[in-house]
Amino acid sequence: MSKSISMGARTALDDHHDLSRQAQWQADKWMIGGSVFMGTAILGLIGLPLFMYGLMLQVRAQKIGLSVRPIIVTLIGYLVIIDAALNSFGWSLDMIANHTLLARVFLQGWGNLFDAGYYWHYNELWIGGATAPGEKAWEIALLPIVFCMRMAAGIAFLQMKRWGHQWLVVTCWFGVVIWIGYVANMTIFADVRYSGVVFPVVGWWLYDIFYITPFLAIPYLHTVNREIFSD
Amino acid sequence: MNEQPISQQDRRRRRGLIIFQILMYGYLLMMFVIQMYMYSQRDW
Repeated sequence: MSKSISMGARTALDDHHDLSRQAQWQADKWMIGGSVFMGTAILGLIGLPLFMYGLMLQVRAQKIGLSVRPIIVTLIGYLVIIDAALNSFGWSLDMIANHTLLARVFLQGWGNLFDAGYYWHYNELWIGGATAPGEKAWEIALLPIVFCMRMAAGIAFLQMKRWGHQWLVVTCWFGVVIWIGYVANMTIFADVRYSGVVFPVVGWWLYDIFYITPFLAIPYLHTVNREIFSD
Repeated sequence: MNEQPISQQDRRRRRGLIIFQILMYGYLLMMFVIQMYMYSQRDW
């Protein structure tokens, strides 16, 4: 290790910085791989161990004193990206690829179990896919605006960028609008959506509670020291 | 020097966030309870 402090010489701080960056990237590679699988929903079980291994690498790097990203930032960032990816894939399938075998098996399977909005008169509207009142409007509004923005914000948040933090705040508040509206819609049209399904009400809530959890990030995002994010 | 106003602001922010969470989770719980009530009344 060089003890020189002359211009251009490497210092212990440089070494620490490089080691930290390497450790973070090593952990991120596993977590990105895991998130890609989990974001597809169908391949989610493959992704979970990959993600957990990456998380373990990051915790280990933190324990030996390397300057890696705070764990809470990692968890919130990936949670938001996976949430946005799950919604994007599922709803894109319903909106664009609603006649594919994949959509008809998984979306109608989901409809039969929890939410008849994805079963009742499926593919019978001119636009195809789910026919529950209001559902298509949510898809059109949220897919290109909220979920795309949310994924971009999540990536920048993981890079500890200031705009990532700011846009995550914005999109988490979008989440509040989404869930107030969507749950109201579910309740108003409950007779359509729960009629004849295998697990009415409780099944839907158990599944969807995971999508609602990004709310938990709001108190953190508003109280975190913003100086840890940089331009 | 500036500690007092900042911590005051912090306290207000924290209080606001707690109230927000109570309202938000309260709303979700209310919708769940309404749906459960409907479930008990209907032949779903």
